[in-house]
Amino acid sequence: MSHQADLAIRTQGLAKQYRDVGALVDLDLEVTAGEVIGYLGPNGAGKTTTIRLLLGLIRPSAGRAQIFGVDCQRRPVETHRRVAVVPGEANLWPELTGAETLHLLGQVHGAVDVVYRDELIDRFELDPSKKVRTYSRGNRQKVLLIGALMTRADLLLMDEPTSGLDPLMEQAFRVSVGEARERGQTVFLSSHLLSEVEALCNRVAILRQGRLVEVGSLSEMRHLSAVTVEATVAGAMPDLGGVAGLGGVAIQGKALRCQVQGPIEPLLAVLMKSGVESLLIRKPSLEELFLALYGQNSYHARER
Amino acid sequence: MAIALASPTVTGPTFLARTVVARRTARRSLRSAVLWGYVFGITVASSAYSYTTIYKTAAERQRLDAVFGANRAVAALFGPAVHLDTVPGFTAYKSSMAVMIIGAVWGLMHSTRLLRGEEDAGRWDLLVSGETTLRQAVLQALSGFAAAAALVWAITFVITAAVGQASSVRISVSSSLYMSAAMVSSAVIFLAVGALTSQLAASRRRASSYAGVVLGLSYGLRMVGDAVPGLHWLVWTSPLGWVEELRPLTDPQPLAFLPIAAFTAAAGLAAINFAGRRDVGGSVLGERSSREAHLGMLTGPFGLTFRLMRSSIISWVVAVAIGGALVGITAQAAGSTVVGSSVEQVFTRLGAAGAGARAFLGVIFVILAMTVGFQATTQLGLMRGDEAGGRADHLLVGNVSRSRWFAGWLLAVAASLLASSIAAGLFTWVGASLQGSGIGIWSSLAAGVNIFPPALFILGTGALAIGFLPRFAVAVMYTVLGWSTLAELVGGFVGESHWALDTSLFHQMAAAPAVAPNWQTSAVLAGLAILMAIVGHQALLRRDLQEE
Repeated sequence: MSHQADLAIRTQGLAKQYRDVGALVDLDLEVTAGEVIGYLGPNGAGKTTTIRLLLGLIRPSAGRAQIFGVDCQRRPVETHRRVAVVPGEANLWPELTGAETLHLLGQVHGAVDVVYRDELIDRFELDPSKKVRTYSRGNRQKVLLIGALMTRADLLLMDEPTSGLDPLMEQAFRVSVGEARERGQTVFLSSHLLSEVEALCNRVAILRQGRLVEVGSLSEMRHLSAVTVEATVAGAMPDLGGVAGLGGVAIQGKALRCQVQGPIEPLLAVLMKSGVESLLIRKPSLEELFLALYGQNSYHARER
Repeated sequence: MAIALASPTVTGPTFLARTVVARRTARRSLRSAVLWGYVFGITVASSAYSYTTIYKTAAERQRLDAVFGANRAVAALFGPAVHLDTVPGFTAYKSSMAVMIIGAVWGLMHSTRLLRGEEDAGRWDLLVSGETTLRQAVLQALSGFAAAAALVWAITFVITAAVGQASSVRISVSSSLYMSAAMVSSAVIFLAVGALTSQLAASRRRASSYAGVVLGLSYGLRMVGDAVPGLHWLVWTSPLGWVEELRPLTDPQPLAFLPIAAFTAAAGLAAINFAGRRDVGGSVLGERSSREAHLGMLTGPFGLTFRLMRSSIISWVVAVAIGGALVGITAQAAGSTVVGSSVEQVFTRLGAAGAGARAFLGVIFVILAMTVGFQATTQLGLMRGDEAGGRADHLLVGNVSRSRWFAGWLLAVAASLLASSIAAGLFTWVGASLQGSGIGIWSSLAAGVNIFPPALFILGTGALAIGFLPRFAVAVMYTVLGWSTLAELVGGFVGESHWALDTSLFHQMAAAPAVAPNWQTSAVLAGLAILMAIVGHQALLRRDLQEE
């Protein structure tokens, strides 16, 4: 376990119950300072609830949360000094301009790197003289992104930060998160975009129905999932009955497609007896991991 | 037999698809239309029955008619009182002004909410992307409003006609039809005005303000026309004046429907026409899409609140100032007929003891207190809107505590209420001075400041509700305001029992300048408001932020 002082986020048994619905159940999560962590889950899994609990905007039904060792509920303003947020909904004051909104957000946070703010405005191609009312959804999202990044806060909490952005702006976002990581900032990235999480994050935490079902680095998580093997043999397809960890076997003539859980050597040894003409071993993508975790059977199997 | 649940082929535009906005508007108007239909009907019924209960003999009725009928103060406040010696005459007089104002306010608020409010929220993008255009959608919405108004009219008519059958009341079916039509007229006018301002303004708040200015001017012109001898022609320049000139149950003047119909049609057609010329989400009086940043006030929650409320504060202060000036101008003429009349007794029951302009202004300041109470309600609604819309989150995830956010809003609203109260006192004095009514500036200013504590109390109830029932905070304030207003109106005329008046918040304040302000009571009201705010604050600290 990490030393408490090194932890940007620490939750212990954190839970939020709405009447008979458990929006978040018994969340134990530690995020080390300087880490970029992806927070994944389908709609309604509890991602936004987690962020709102960390910010002290809603009260936990049980458990506690700390940001840099400070209790989020008891001393929210103190924790906010080290946090910047990109909320899930781009609701802003329509009568203010982009520049006024950024000024206000800076004033509210208390610290702004003005040079970096201007750089971000250029990078995200935002016209700050326009009123928020006239902004598209993507432009409102840019205001929120710039508003968070310009503070250089120690912890960035981002809830679907690229929603509404075009691919070019998504690239600009990735550059910005990369810069934050290089500066040692911690990034908590709630997202649906698996490619984005895969490209940016050191670790991934996956939620389902309010429960944390998986957390770890991508490489750690890949060990949990089967690799896909596609092979063509020269002779007759050997008997694969005795190979351990084999699943999803599909044989078409001399072509084999299957998943292997655990060591791959036993399968290779059997195939080599018939002569291997071609062989492709593929690690699962984050998307495959995600789908595997969210498949009903897989989930229930894990539950058991 | 197999039943096809959905046709697999596209059959082209359908009637249902083409009328979706009209049906949706009508459906969303249903609840309030039924509510106001009942309220209007019950108002008629209670007026008729209270008259038959209180004024039993012909002599009492003739005395009432003789006193009120010639009274310009009464005419200024509630419209001309004629044929008060008959049940229909009293019923029409007692019901008309209240219903006229309530109908107009409902019309403009409802119309701007369902047109500009829906467009602000982006929901019209979906509707207009269907089988319709913006122009057709506005036409459809107007049809929905017409259906809602027809429902209000029908319910009012049924109740009026039923009450009219009583032997002690005796209002014919045709008179009930006419009366109901007259009662719903101001709602119809201001539904159309709201539709028009929804095309002109870029936000719902602004659309409501523009329509509110039209309403304020209408009321002011009518009031001056009714109160000042020789200026009766002014009544015919005001939409509310036209409604008044319908004179239901007493001296029907159907000709007055002509300007009402023409004005409503013109506003409706202009709305449809403007809708065809603008973008969805845009406005005729287009705001500049970009401008220089004004950063002066954007330093924290208090400054931001002032900035966000700026147009609301200016609108309210200007409206109250104009209203104060207009009643000030009429005070001398209206008050001169109070002395020695039974109106004096009504004024005394309302706390405005004495006679002349002072007594008249005492009642006027009670009405101004109701107005500033309404201001408190709408401005606290902005605060709730910031939380419900998720905008408060941006402040509360920074270095702004909930306490600062809460205090920032309440202080800004309280300052705005105080500004309106002082404006009421100052400009009423300006108006009264022009007519040489003899009201001193300090006396008038004190009367202005005197209406601040009740408004603060209403704000306090809202602050309390924000802590415990945030989604119902505005409704709670409207309930306190509505009940107090109703109790004041009813209690003033029904002399037998004081219980209704005693439950009115406005009856707790001294009716200055008719009598000296009671600062002790004011301090108690202000203290209770602060106490409620403190309790609400403690509850706010313990609850979740609640978005819509």
